[in-house]
Amino acid sequence: MSAHALASSSAGPDAPDAVALFEQHRKALIRQKLGANILFLVLFLAMLAWSIDVSRFFPERLAQGIPRIFEYFGTILPGLEWDKLFLPRGEDGRAVPGSLTFWYSDLDKYLRLIFETILMAITATIIGAAAAFALCFPAARNLAPKGWVGVACRRLLEVFRGVPEILYALVLVFAVGIGPLAGVIAIAIHTAGALGKLFAEVNENASMRPVDGIRSVGGSWFEEVRYGILPQVLPNFASYTLLRFEINVRASSIVGFVGAGGIGAELNHVISFFSDDRVLAVLILVVLTVTCIDLISERVRHAFIGRENLK
Amino acid sequence: MRTFTLAAVGPAEIEAARSANPKAFGDPLRRTLVIGSWAVILGYLLYSLWLFEFWKLFASSDNAVRMITRMFVWQDMDTWMYAQIYKGIAETIAMAFLGTLLATILALFIAFAAARNTMPLFLPRQATRRVLDVLRGVDQVIWGLVFVRAVGLGPLAGVLAIFVSDTGTLAKLYSEAIENIDRKQVEGVTSTGADGVRTIRYGILPQILPVFISLSLYSFESSTRSATILGLVGAGGVGMVIIERFRAGLFDQVAFVVLNVLVVIAVIDWVSAKIRKRFIGERGH
Repeated sequence: MSAHALASSSAGPDAPDAVALFEQHRKALIRQKLGANILFLVLFLAMLAWSIDVSRFFPERLAQGIPRIFEYFGTILPGLEWDKLFLPRGEDGRAVPGSLTFWYSDLDKYLRLIFETILMAITATIIGAAAAFALCFPAARNLAPKGWVGVACRRLLEVFRGVPEILYALVLVFAVGIGPLAGVIAIAIHTAGALGKLFAEVNENASMRPVDGIRSVGGSWFEEVRYGILPQVLPNFASYTLLRFEINVRASSIVGFVGAGGIGAELNHVISFFSDDRVLAVLILVVLTVTCIDLISERVRHAFIGRENLK
Repeated sequence: MRTFTLAAVGPAEIEAARSANPKAFGDPLRRTLVIGSWAVILGYLLYSLWLFEFWKLFASSDNAVRMITRMFVWQDMDTWMYAQIYKGIAETIAMAFLGTLLATILALFIAFAAARNTMPLFLPRQATRRVLDVLRGVDQVIWGLVFVRAVGLGPLAGVLAIFVSDTGTLAKLYSEAIENIDRKQVEGVTSTGADGVRTIRYGILPQILPVFISLSLYSFESSTRSATILGLVGAGGVGMVIIERFRAGLFDQVAFVVLNVLVVIAVIDWVSAKIRKRFIGERGH
């Protein structure tokens, strides 16, 4: 319609010029969308008012709470003093207040727990990836041996990834006792669900020609998957698994909140029972660990994908 | 041209083919490497499972059996205090909505300070990015715990936790979206003599707004998921309902609440997919 109007505008001198036509068209478009936009705005404001009411996010509570936040962050800052910063422990084995050794007096314990956290993440990633690997072939729509097998596997993966790992950890701590085992299994279950879905999607995008070739010479389902699909999808699987490992390091540092091992238990302890520099000491270590693992894993992932692309 | 039949291929032919194309039948070095790395992985797995005392898994206690049966056998369903459950779920959604909204508003401003094309100065840009890294690096649950300590139990701590960690995530994603805009449109607006504000309004904003809406909706979805967990540390929402009933040993109710949460999350995903489609069309980001 506008193209026709533009063409006619250049035809006669009394026709409206292009700018006026454009403005007119724009106004019509705005008017057309006005109703829907007002409706959205009203819905949005209603949702906002409701959520402010439900979460009791009132100005007076905020005015009361916000100064306390800054107060709290003030108390967890370490009282470091420049002249004492690098003083070693004294002869009686006590660290000097104001020195780094005083701030990190429990460093041995923290490092042990961080080591445990990383081990938990690695083990959970391996177990979860193995389970996902086993389930992803029957779960892929193009490979499922029978319709109901595929549906059952997909539902199972949905249940695995639908529940957050910390909830699994809560339940498992009750079942197998406090300790890293509950955390490992909880993270492994969630990992199996999340990775299984990604793996199955990779399988669905793989070329079916090798599979057809293997089927035509009489290969079984297992051989079709082993020689037809697996070589295509393995690099992607590896990359997704490494990505998941990064997420699992974060997860394993918080499952300790419910008693499932790792640095989380210590973090929960220092935040809930102390209000001093120990909180910041543990937090810094956790953030450093997560960042370092992210950087290393990103390097490995890029090297891996890069090498595969060169082939 | 020679034709091979299966019967004609004997050990001698196979041997000849092997020596002619040694690589086609597998490199021994490579094979050792593969087997070696599998052995290392397996060895590590056994070591770590031993370290984590995996035998506890098979010493199944009566507690575990009772818990699992209770989860599937639901009793006395009329005494379950449904009002509290659904109030908890509503609180979770409200927390996620408010936290994401506040984070969106703050991230809008921070993103322009973290993007290379809108903040050419090196130092302020890097400082902003490092602060965002810290906000993202600390997990939402940890923020929840810290805010519970600071402002007390309840949904306010949850809103603040979602607000802080989503600000970190959203501002980073927004700044990437700003860096990816098309310069031509901006130059076109500038060439008409528009000032800085108008350049942002007509040159940059129309390009980034659909991406921003889509990212914020994703963030709302993921916050509803994580807000469930925030309650476990006392930061309000349905997580508090779950942990209270779990501590009281009401496992059937816990299973029911978790099922409800899963359904609600699925509905939210569906609705937000619809809204995203309406605002930005079929094209994904």
